[in-house]
Amino acid sequence: MPDQSIRRTMTLNLTDAEMRALESLSIQKDLSKTAVIRQALRLYQLVDRRLSNGEKLFFEDKAKREKAELMVMI
Amino acid sequence: MTSRRSCRLKVPDGNDLVEAELVYELSKDDLVQAHLDWAPVRLEALRRLHESHRPWPEHWHWDWSKKAQMLDLLAYRCMGIECEGHFQGLMMVSTLAVKGRLASQLGKPVLYIEFLENAPWNLRSLAGKPQFIGVGIRLLEAAIEFSDNEGFGGRIGLHSLPQSENYYRKYMTDLGLDAKQSQGLRYFEMSTEQVLHFIERR
Repeated sequence: MPDQSIRRTMTLNLTDAEMRALESLSIQKDLSKTAVIRQALRLYQLVDRRLSNGEKLFFEDKAKREKAELMVMI
Repeated sequence: MTSRRSCRLKVPDGNDLVEAELVYELSKDDLVQAHLDWAPVRLEALRRLHESHRPWPEHWHWDWSKKAQMLDLLAYRCMGIECEGHFQGLMMVSTLAVKGRLASQLGKPVLYIEFLENAPWNLRSLAGKPQFIGVGIRLLEAAIEFSDNEGFGGRIGLHSLPQSENYYRKYMTDLGLDAKQSQGLRYFEMSTEQVLHFIERR
């Protein structure tokens, strides 16, 4: 691949449950485990930045007419 | 270190090709520089269009220097084609995969192209005769490469402005008006099969 962005390697220590979740997402999303972790990091940074800027993140279930603010990002 | 590879652009009136470079990761400064290069040319062209009562390009107001802040986030990446010391085209993609909408790749990861623009001197609607031809194709190739590198199988998607719909329809599947998109634009997606076809005929 011509995109020569420098990539660094690290060891990731996960519990069995975390590894199962990663493997499950990898299969479900048709992405490698590395790609899932990279997607998660990008999303975390994006959400964190927008929350830091005072925006709010909601999950909405139109069928149940429920709307809940996501409060867990630290 | 900026990652680049060589590519070629066509010049009008003949089959001459000129050497250009695809820059895989643009900085905020690159976008500001591109804006400074493009803005005066665009303004002059718009003045001419206004005087002759001709329609303006729908993206006339795009300002890449204002998009530069998005590059603080890993979720966005900008690429560009550089030739003769100027950016000839720019593209911003979202590095967060979107779900494929085509039946053949429903739910599979797709690279979403946020913005893709030719330099004003390459737009027939602005310049009359473009300086270089093929910038859009080179940028679509770059998006496909990036998608493949990210593990998205080369799949790409975008919402097209009405003036560009016929262009994208040549390479991608038109999935119709997207009511969920803020401007109600049509959504286009390129499948893995279309990617192979696109690469073969380029």
